Amino acid sequence: MKNKINIYLIEYAINAILRQKYKSFFVTTVFTLLTFLLTSVFFITNSIKHELDATVDALPQIIVQKIKAGRHYDIDADILDNLLEIAGVSDAVARVWGYYYFENAGVNFSVVGVDQFENQYKESFNKIVKKFDFDKLEADSSMVVGVGVKQIMLENYYTKYFNFIKPDGTLKKVTLAGVFDAQTSLESNDMIVMPKEIVREIFDIEEGKVTDIVVKVANPKEITMIASKIKQMYPDTRIVTSEDLKVSYQNIFDYKSGVFLALFIVSLFTFFIIIYDKSSGLSSEEKREIGILKAIGWKIDDVLKEKFYESFIISFFAYIFGVISAFAFVYIFQAPILRNIFVGYSQLKTTFELPFAFDVQTLFLVFFLSVPIYIAATIIPSWKVATLEADEVIR
Amino acid sequence: MINLKNVTKSYEINKNNKVTALDNINLNIKEGELVVLKGASGSGKSTILSLIAALSKPTSGEVMVDEKQISKLPDNFASIYRRDNIGFIFQKYNLIPTLSVKENILLPLVPLNPDEEDVKEKLDAVMQRFNISHKEDAIVRNLSGGEQQRVAIARANVNNPKIIIADEPTANLDEKLSIHFVEILRELKASNKTIVVATHDPIFFDLDFVDREIKVHNGKIL
Repeated sequence: MKNKINIYLIEYAINAILRQKYKSFFVTTVFTLLTFLLTSVFFITNSIKHELDATVDALPQIIVQKIKAGRHYDIDADILDNLLEIAGVSDAVARVWGYYYFENAGVNFSVVGVDQFENQYKESFNKIVKKFDFDKLEADSSMVVGVGVKQIMLENYYTKYFNFIKPDGTLKKVTLAGVFDAQTSLESNDMIVMPKEIVREIFDIEEGKVTDIVVKVANPKEITMIASKIKQMYPDTRIVTSEDLKVSYQNIFDYKSGVFLALFIVSLFTFFIIIYDKSSGLSSEEKREIGILKAIGWKIDDVLKEKFYESFIISFFAYIFGVISAFAFVYIFQAPILRNIFVGYSQLKTTFELPFAFDVQTLFLVFFLSVPIYIAATIIPSWKVATLEADEVIR
Repeated sequence: MINLKNVTKSYEINKNNKVTALDNINLNIKEGELVVLKGASGSGKSTILSLIAALSKPTSGEVMVDEKQISKLPDNFASIYRRDNIGFIFQKYNLIPTLSVKENILLPLVPLNPDEEDVKEKLDAVMQRFNISHKEDAIVRNLSGGEQQRVAIARANVNNPKIIIADEPTANLDEKLSIHFVEILRELKASNKTIVVATHDPIFFDLDFVDREIKVHNGKIL
C-alpha cells in the first residue's frame, strides 16, 4: 500500500541538507540565533508587561499631597475627616512614608509606615499586618523588608539591624524582624515596612502631619470628579490619580520597550537580509541538480515539494531550538544582560525576577515571521529554475 | 514509434543573433529499432535527442511518440512522459556526484513513491544487470569513468523505459570501455528497446545490430 507521504522525497531532502552540511549548519545557526533573539525580546516584554499590569492594578486611586513653591511637604492629617465626607469617597488613609538614601549601596529604600489598627490602602499591607506582630515590631523598634532590601543589607554587612541616619544626624537603630512577599517583585523589592511612629522618627515627621493621603473611591469612574473636588477644597495640594501614575509607569515601560523594539528591528532586518540573499538565486550546482531531476522525470511539483521539505526541516528545527533557548534564557537564567535594560525600573536590581508570563500568540507570531518566509525564499528561486526547459538548465 | 515532422529548432543567442540547430527535418524511427545519428559536433544530433525526450520544444513542427504529440506537452506532462518512457544516458552522465550509486539510480523512482519491496527489486535488478552492485554505497564522484557510465545506464533503465537515448556515450571512455558499452547496447537491443544513439565515434558505425545510420549535417538529415 502506497503511503500518502513520500518518504523517499523526505529522505532526499534530508540527504540534500547533509550534503551541504557546512552551509546548512550556518543557516540553521543564524536562523536559531535570530529566532532566539526575537523570541527572547517577546518573552521579556510579555513578562515586564505582566509585572507592570499587576503593579498598576495595585496603585492608589487618588493621592493627595501638600505642595508649597512646587515642592512636596507633609500634609495635615486632620483633612482626612473632610475628605471622607465627600460623596463617592469610600475611604481615606493617611500615609507616613519616604525614600531613604543608603549611600553605601547607592540605592533608595522606600520606607513605609503602617498602623495595624487602620485600614490599609493596599492588600499586601493587610497581609503583612496579619503575618507580623506590629506591637512587637514597635516595642522592639523593628522592621520587615523586601527581598531586595535584605540582599543589599547583607551585602553591606547589616544582618540583624540597620542604622538609619536621622535628619539631625543621629542614628536610629532598627532591627530586622523579617522578610515579606508582595504581589509584584517590581513593587516590593526596595520596600521597608515598619510601625508609623518609627518612620516619623527617622524622617522627622511631626505628630499631626503625614506624608500624603490616599483616597479610595467607590466608583472608579468618579475618580476624576472627586479629584477635582478635593483640589477645589484644598488648592495648595497636588492631586495624583491612578491614571496619572499609570501613564508615568507606562512611559517608563514604553521608553524601555523602545530599546527592545530596536533589538527586534535589528533581528528582523538581519533575517530579511539573509532571506533576500537566499531568494536572489541558486548556485550553478543547485540549478544543475534541478535540471537533472527534471530531465530524469521529476515534475516541477516534485522539485518544489523536495525544496519545501528541505527548507521546512531547517527552519522548523531552528525555530524550535531558538524558542527553547529563549525560554531557558529568559525564564531559567533570567535574561542576563538583556533584562538589565528594564531592571532600572526597580531601584534594587539584583533580586528582580522575570515572571513566567507565557503567551502562545508569541510562539505563533515568531513562527509566522520566520518559517514561512524562509520556505518561500527557498522555493521561489527553485521554482524559477524548475519552470525552465530542462535542456536549457543542463546545458 | 518516433516521428519528427517538419521540425525546426532555433536558439536565440541575442536580439540579432539566431542559431538554427535543426532545419525542417523529418525522421521516423520504428519500435525496436536501433538508430545511430552520425555527425560532427554541432550538427544537431543532440538537439534531435532532446526533442525526442521532450527536454526542449521545437520552434516549429511536430514530435510524435506512439502517435502522441509530445512537442506541445506542458512541463509536468513532459516530465511524466520522460519518467515513463525515456531512459536518457547523457554525454556527461549528469549524475549527482555527492550521492551514492544506489541513490542516483533510485532518483527516477522517487516521485512515484513506490513500495519498498518494489524499489529493492528494481534496484537490485538493474545494478546486477549492469554489474555495479558491488559499488552500491560508493559515492559517485569517487568512481571511475566506466563505473559512472554504468550507473548512468542503470539509472536510465530502472523504470524499464521503452526508449533509450544515448548522447555521445563513449565521449569520455577509452577503447576498452567503449567496446563494453557497445555490448550493453547489444543487450538492450535484444530486449526490444527502441534505441537512438547520437555519436561521432566510428566504433558505432557498421555494427551488425544497428538498424540504421542517419547522417546529420548542419541541422539537416542527409
